[in-house]
Amino acid sequence: MKVEGEHLFNGNQQQVWDLFRDTEVMAAALPGTKKMELVGENTYEAVMNVRVGPVAGEFSGQLVISNEDHPNSYTMTVDGRGKPGFLKGVGDVVLTNQGANQTLMGYTGEVQIGGKLAAVGQRLIDTVAKSIINQAFETLDNALEERGKAEAEGRKADYQQSSEGDYAATVAKDLIKNVLKRKDSEES
Amino acid sequence: MTYKVIGKRVRRVEDPRLLTGGALFVGDVNLPDMLHAAFVRSDYAHAKIISIDTSSAKEIPGVVGVYTAEDMGEAWEPGPPLVSPPPSLEGVTFNSCRQVPLVKDKVKHAGEIIAVVVAESRYIAEDAVEEVYVDYEPLPAVTDLEKCLEPGHTLVHDELDSNLAAHLVQNKGDYEAAKKEADLVIKRKFKLDRGAAAAMENRGIVVDWDQKNQHLMVWDATQSPIPIRNGLAGRLGLRTHQVRVVAPFVGGGFGPKIMMFYAEEMVLPWLTMKLNRPVKWIEDRKENFYATTQEREQVQEVEMALSKEGRILGIRQNIIHDTGAYDPYGLTIPLNTQSHSMGPYDIKNYSSELSVVFTNKIITTPVRGAGRPQGIYIVERMLDIACRELELDSRDVRRLNFIKPDQFPYDHEIIDQAFTNLVFDSGNYQPAYDKAIEKIEYDKFINEDQPRLRAEGKYVGIGVVPFIETTGVGPYEGARVAIEPSGKISAATGVGTQGQSHMTSFAQIIAEQLSVEVEDISLVSGDTAEIHWGTGTFASRGAVVAGNAVLAAASDVRKKVLKLASKILETPEDELELEGGQVRVADIPDKSISLGELAVLANPFRGAVEPGTEPGLESTKYFGPAYGATAFGVHGMILEVDPETMMIKIHKYVTVEDCGTMLNPLVVEGQIHGGVSMGIGNAYYEKLHFDENGQLQNASLADYLIVGATEMPHIEVYHQNTPAPNNKLGTKGVGEAGAIPVPAAFAQALENALPNYDLEITETPLSPNRLFELLYRQED
Amino acid sequence: MDNTYELNVTVNGTSYQETVDPRTLLSDFLRDGLGLTGTHVGCEHGVCGACTVLLNGEPVRSCLIFAPQVQGQEIMTVEGLGTVDDMHPLQEAFREAHALQCGFCTPGILTTLLPWLEENPNPTEDEIREAISGNLCRCTGYQHIIDAVKLAAEQMN
Repeated sequence: MKVEGEHLFNGNQQQVWDLFRDTEVMAAALPGTKKMELVGENTYEAVMNVRVGPVAGEFSGQLVISNEDHPNSYTMTVDGRGKPGFLKGVGDVVLTNQGANQTLMGYTGEVQIGGKLAAVGQRLIDTVAKSIINQAFETLDNALEERGKAEAEGRKADYQQSSEGDYAATVAKDLIKNVLKRKDSEES
Repeated sequence: MTYKVIGKRVRRVEDPRLLTGGALFVGDVNLPDMLHAAFVRSDYAHAKIISIDTSSAKEIPGVVGVYTAEDMGEAWEPGPPLVSPPPSLEGVTFNSCRQVPLVKDKVKHAGEIIAVVVAESRYIAEDAVEEVYVDYEPLPAVTDLEKCLEPGHTLVHDELDSNLAAHLVQNKGDYEAAKKEADLVIKRKFKLDRGAAAAMENRGIVVDWDQKNQHLMVWDATQSPIPIRNGLAGRLGLRTHQVRVVAPFVGGGFGPKIMMFYAEEMVLPWLTMKLNRPVKWIEDRKENFYATTQEREQVQEVEMALSKEGRILGIRQNIIHDTGAYDPYGLTIPLNTQSHSMGPYDIKNYSSELSVVFTNKIITTPVRGAGRPQGIYIVERMLDIACRELELDSRDVRRLNFIKPDQFPYDHEIIDQAFTNLVFDSGNYQPAYDKAIEKIEYDKFINEDQPRLRAEGKYVGIGVVPFIETTGVGPYEGARVAIEPSGKISAATGVGTQGQSHMTSFAQIIAEQLSVEVEDISLVSGDTAEIHWGTGTFASRGAVVAGNAVLAAASDVRKKVLKLASKILETPEDELELEGGQVRVADIPDKSISLGELAVLANPFRGAVEPGTEPGLESTKYFGPAYGATAFGVHGMILEVDPETMMIKIHKYVTVEDCGTMLNPLVVEGQIHGGVSMGIGNAYYEKLHFDENGQLQNASLADYLIVGATEMPHIEVYHQNTPAPNNKLGTKGVGEAGAIPVPAAFAQALENALPNYDLEITETPLSPNRLFELLYRQED
Repeated sequence: MDNTYELNVTVNGTSYQETVDPRTLLSDFLRDGLGLTGTHVGCEHGVCGACTVLLNGEPVRSCLIFAPQVQGQEIMTVEGLGTVDDMHPLQEAFREAHALQCGFCTPGILTTLLPWLEENPNPTEDEIREAISGNLCRCTGYQHIIDAVKLAAEQMN
């Protein structure tokens, strides 16, 4: 399954780069993350709760950052396994300066899934993946803002992770929106 | 004999219990002290097992044990090869790799069993399955039939040097010479894909080891209880009399319930003997998609040489057949494909190269049709394409090529699934074809209805396809018939029943022989305690092979009845009549004796049973045909397709069926209706989507679309009777016929409905999505 | 399991009081708890319809209901329709028309049809197909089932 998209951040390229390499921020940004730890120079271990339609459960796995070209791009490799199945992915993240304190972040990647997730979650995977990514961006936007504020106020930043309840509700809303969008759309 | 029961539309004796919820299926077996098993199955299609951690699973209250291959020790053994080609067959390469009870080192398909949990309830067992942690080293999955034979490709089985499971070439006549004479040579590539049998009842097995009596009781939703009994006895070091296998009412078989042995059938008996308690496992629907066998995947390159009149001079074919991760079922399916690749046609030259390959997918074993649909599909598609290129009417071309009635028995000179020569025993194809053309009102459709509807903007098309079906194959079946002192009849045969109405249709044979009511006959099928020898229900052979054994046993009992009655009534046999459960002297109705009284007299407490005779009025007989009976038929359909929504509606469906003598026309029609529903599924709705990692992406009934009542047309069934010459009943099989020609007829009708789209269909199954891609030329 | 639930439910006219594990599915409660094995389980995801029973007269998928959800309610299963010696006209019609082969999907179709036939005493073929479109059958191709329903409709009027 291909995953790609982009998002415009309100910050300069260095700030956005730092954001992405901040473990605490990443843990807060991905809904359902229970644990994220830097265990090696560029290796994180994570435990995440994943729900796709009727399939839910805990995934544990590794995230490895490679091909770092600071502060422009890097490659991220994911290998996770859990009761719902397994997930493997590799993606490239590219940051481009848009001037006036704005950075465009673009990503392209391939994700492979297996087990229960693939068997019964197949129809929902696309929409759920997009929903997770959108929610992650929302959290990252807030985190960036919070960072700015904290610096200005001379205090430590306080990142809010969205609750699992909110996450599930948002995914449900996104799924419905998607269905309605397809019905209205004139494309076949 | 004036009392006729064979051929009548008799109501089924098994129905009242089924209708009132009183019939026992394997899931209904409930024993005291029973444990429940659940399986840890691999998510990966191809992976090495690094470690298995069962410690947290074992700690869950209610869990009795969690076992892996290591725990099985010496009891661990792969399943037996079922139908390997005989070593005497020349030019055949065959690498036998059989399925295992629990995976030892390497997983070879998603769904393979890594460990088994045994607990006090199914709920606890399934909880514990989630707590077993398996560490895998994933390997690339072998999924592409054509690429997997390339040198250096990942291997499914490391002990082999390629993914080739088997190879053979079949030749008849001289294709190359025929090709030189041809006016037209066409060549196409076909892709045929997997479907599931998806019976409404999933598999299941309950086992109970009685330590005191040293006896193993097994309830198994299987199509072949006797071979299961024999195999289990062998594997467990028991004598056959220590094992009893009962196939109770089974909720649909369609082929996969005869795969022997499934891993679960090897693991559960081991568990009950180890734990000394009954153990139950009922498959759930998702497991059914991963662990129950499937069928139909092939890639074929076909070349056909024809004269300009449309006479088929020869066919050359290259088949790559997917056997999945193992090949216990040998070459049955692809040999069936080859046997049907010439259809009902008189083709003198045929050359077919078959390669069977291993992939990291679930094993393929026969599913209703068992390779026959693929053969019929390619020959009919090639003929349709040839007709277009030669600008000939498709009906004329079929008629031109049919084997003529005086050419039977027709020896095709290639081998069939039984490794004997493929011989069509009898047939009369043209009248059946003409009848189908007449009943579907072909001329009226082409000349009037179609143009009128097209003018209204409707896309309608017609497809008519003839086919043959090899049925009634050996090796043998047996039947026992006995008259009880009550005057009622008990009978037994080894072919299990999964809805084929054996309890009624076989009873009809007995009823006719002994002049009793069908309701007075109690027939047991599928209990190894009732009959010792048999094979099973498969390949449309029940009526032919078991039916004829039943006939032989019943007529032998009839002889015994008359012989004994003649002695008792002091009247010559030819003056005796059998009627209503009585033997009476013709013209002296008072001089009679009931069957029950005769049965008592045949089993005396005193006196002597004469040498050379047997006590009782009982007989066990076997029937083994030298070669099968070739059934045939024609299917026609008129369908409408909406090129915007891709939805189809079948407006008319006609079948002409020739299965020789029908035992019970109600049953025959039911079999055809059911077969057609599976055929329509195979044509347009059912496809198993595997990705390049061997992951099944639609493992639920929500995503694997089984045809419902609103997708089915009304089916008109017409009969023809060309009796089978080689069995006394004159009967041929009909169990799979409904499913065989449907994808070919569907493709023909669809192309006929959409002439402006330049459609040439060379794949099956289609689907609304796929049709959209084909019509609008989008990339996959 | 320490977690238990006291269930009071009426099935086929008989009142039951049973202690159950609260996550027991209604289908399992009926089959294993009460021994009423006429209701069959085909998919456990609500698609095939084999597990259909009547809850207060309405057809429901018992595989998608937890036993505690039927507290104080009335259920009818296929065993409540008739007995071997005294079958309901619908069951008789199924037998006459050869509307079952393996019989596994049959109980779910019978319970689905029972209330429907009362509201649709004179159905057309298309209406019957629509009525059973939520019940999957792999054996019959549905045709004889439709014949049976037409026959039953005649008998029941």
